[in-house]
Amino acid sequence: MNAHIKKVYIPMTETGFYILLCLMEENHGYNIVKKVEKLTEGEIIISPGTMYGSLAKMEKDNLIKFVREENKRKIYIITELGKQILDIELKRIKRLHKNISEVFYYEK
Amino acid sequence: MKNKKIAIRFFTICEWKKEEEYLREEHKNGWKFEKLNFLCCYHFKRCEMEDVVYQLDYNVNVSDKNEYIKMFNDCGWEYIQDFFGYTYFRKPVSEMKNDTEEIFCDDESRFQMIKRVFKGRVIPLIIIFFFVILPQIFLQGNLNGKANHILFGIFIVMSVLYLFMFVWFFYNLYKYFKSSYK
Repeated sequence: MNAHIKKVYIPMTETGFYILLCLMEENHGYNIVKKVEKLTEGEIIISPGTMYGSLAKMEKDNLIKFVREENKRKIYIITELGKQILDIELKRIKRLHKNISEVFYYEK
Repeated sequence: MKNKKIAIRFFTICEWKKEEEYLREEHKNGWKFEKLNFLCCYHFKRCEMEDVVYQLDYNVNVSDKNEYIKMFNDCGWEYIQDFFGYTYFRKPVSEMKNDTEEIFCDDESRFQMIKRVFKGRVIPLIIIFFFVILPQIFLQGNLNGKANHILFGIFIVMSVLYLFMFVWFFYNLYKYFKSSYK
């Protein structure tokens, strides 16, 4: 993996992370917005400008690829590179989670 | 009572936040923004007083405009028009899940927009300044005709205007960063 991609995407923004996660299956931008809203119980509502920019950038960087267009909505799916990035990020988040419980355990 | 009005307003580069506030204020007072033409004339139409958020995006690299607009429409943003690379959207506060909704939801994408404005608007001005205006000042300043003196004066005025614009842009940029990282 190229160092530039790693530098840009890790650690990931919350929006970027959810977009990649939702693209483990074929999806279009608006569907991702709705899905993330549901997953986070309304905590995160991705705005269209942010969504459009993120999808375009991720497509350019080969993290996701265009599948087809339906009703003027572009459908994307994650690529191998995207999965690698997501995997690194998942490991990082798991480590954070583990460390949080460790520190709190010792403090008690 | 008049049903339409036209207002002339001039917003410099990087003042899109001010412009958005201006349009929102007008709508609150019952004037719905219709269109903006090249002479900086803002056309308004009488409407119900309502709190409607206006937002500008700057994106000249959109490959498929229909798809771009569709995404905003899906999210409840009405597309109004394009103007020299800027796209105008609006959404009533009553339709928002939280009343602070914007077309960008993180600092990363807000910064990307500023970068696009910089590339599309400020860099061309910098190029004109260094490759047209400055050489002309030296050229005209060294010639002795009457026309040369006049041109020299014109280019001096232009360079002052340009410098003022650059300072203004970076000042706004600074203000923007200060407010977003509070």
